[in-house]
Amino acid sequence: MSNVPPTPLAKWLAVASLVLSTGCATYTGDPAANSASPTTAPTAPRRDQVLWSYRNAALAMRAGRFDQAKTELEEALSRLGGIYGPDKAAASARSLFNEEAKKNFIGEPYERVMAYYYRAILYWMDGEPDNARACFRTGQLLDSDAENKTYAGDYALLDYLDGFACVKLAADGSDAFARAQSHTRSTPLPPYSPRANVLFFVEFGNGPLKYAAGQYREQLRFREGNSSVKSAVIRVGGQTLPAPAYDDLYFQASTRGGRVMDHILAGKAQFKAGANSIGDVAIISGAVLASHQKRRSNADEIGAGLLLFGLASKLVSAATTPTADTRCWENLPGHLSFTAAELLPGQHTATIEFLNAVGAPHRVKTATFIVQPGRDTVVFLSDR
Amino acid sequence: MPHMKSNLHTWSVSLSLTLAAGLLAGCASGVQNPRGVSVTEMRPDERGFVAGTGVESQDLVRVADKMARGILGVPQVTRAQGTPRVVLDPVVNETRFPINKDIFLTRIRAQLNSQASGKVIFLARDRMTALERERDLKRSGQVTSGSDPNVVEFKGADFFLTGKLSSLTTRTSKGVSDYVLYTFQLIDARTSDIVWEGFEEIKKQGLEDAVYR
Repeated sequence: MSNVPPTPLAKWLAVASLVLSTGCATYTGDPAANSASPTTAPTAPRRDQVLWSYRNAALAMRAGRFDQAKTELEEALSRLGGIYGPDKAAASARSLFNEEAKKNFIGEPYERVMAYYYRAILYWMDGEPDNARACFRTGQLLDSDAENKTYAGDYALLDYLDGFACVKLAADGSDAFARAQSHTRSTPLPPYSPRANVLFFVEFGNGPLKYAAGQYREQLRFREGNSSVKSAVIRVGGQTLPAPAYDDLYFQASTRGGRVMDHILAGKAQFKAGANSIGDVAIISGAVLASHQKRRSNADEIGAGLLLFGLASKLVSAATTPTADTRCWENLPGHLSFTAAELLPGQHTATIEFLNAVGAPHRVKTATFIVQPGRDTVVFLSDR
Repeated sequence: MPHMKSNLHTWSVSLSLTLAAGLLAGCASGVQNPRGVSVTEMRPDERGFVAGTGVESQDLVRVADKMARGILGVPQVTRAQGTPRVVLDPVVNETRFPINKDIFLTRIRAQLNSQASGKVIFLARDRMTALERERDLKRSGQVTSGSDPNVVEFKGADFFLTGKLSSLTTRTSKGVSDYVLYTFQLIDARTSDIVWEGFEEIKKQGLEDAVYR
């Protein structure tokens, strides 16, 4: 240990480190990392507000706080509907030196679809099946610009419920029903029952999670959420109603193909790699020139220049951030289901069994609800 | 040596200033409109700087204006014996946009009531529950009545005013295009004749930034 007094530069660096460590680091940018204390959407950073609205809406739906869910979703959907045209945050996220997570979060299409899906349930709950239908239609539209057209607009339930709302509104739902059947992958959807007055919206399992892959974490990938629950069955008023998984959110997230943003991130990664390689070459060449020639020769100066250029190139490479945005609405369900029944007006208690892969009950819940005459009763059921 | 020390001092001061400026700029970057944007009052019929491809206030004003003018030109209304009475029947929303459907009919009704008062009278069917309760209170003698409460005075409709919103949507890599067709009808309550139909169509297109696609 030496007793050399600190130079002005060392003092400055110490102060700068302190400023760096305290001044700007109030928020990590990763909502999950900041989730130690409950966060409401209005207090979250602007770019994460929609994400928090999504998460809070899902929690509120499962807790039966439908008014809160409505408020959260209205907040999120109003932002979703106004993202056309120039956007400074988006432009910032496209630049070489900013990560994708700089943009205002609105989610990948499967997340946006789910926001509309939940809002549709709430509209139907409020006796507005036409507005619910509007949300189902917008949800399907959001999935329609997939790179892989085979899987564009292929949510079975969205078309099915679109058609069911049409039937409820005395319109023709047969086209939507036919589309829905063409989207089902395993279990066929039941025909519409216009007399059904109780609608069960069922969700179970864990939704997909995002992670970044690639040399520079520039590739957005999805991981399937683990869950033992694979289907459900509802028993109410002497009826047994199967509720199989009609839509799989992991399937929806992972089959769309590439995003436009993926090409931008790939370009950034290519630039980063290129700048790094050029830096390596320039530094090595400069070092060789500077060390193998006589002092004060032209080659010496060129070598120094190459060294500086190489360093600059390495700095630019280091500053380039092609990292994909992995902010995720992680409390989504893995599977969606629906069933409907005709029940007499009055109070009813339904028992719902969430079944595992072999059909054994994994979790059993009950739901009590009152069927009003002359209108649909909407029951939302989740395995969480 | 003193010269070298002086150079080092100058250099470190310059570096400090440069980096401090950089730090401040770094802390400030990424925050758009840190002081917010002041409230801008706009006319409801003008397109704001916050816009989507859905149904917006300027569409509502444009459509309601056109429909109200159209209704006042209907011969069955202008040449009716007595003032025709109209009931609003909820609009059917077939678009992909969830909207408050009643707002169109409310706007048309308000415009006709304020600008063509007396040419048509709208019946408050949406208030029937409260009206019936008041009538029952009068009939039971719990509240006073200016006329015989047992005589039915609720008026029947001569016409129904209703409408439908339909849409076509295209979404490609070049953006989203939404066409909305607004149709409104005045239906004779006695004969079911559609005595008038007006329409307006609005098409909007938009494209999200690439980072959202």
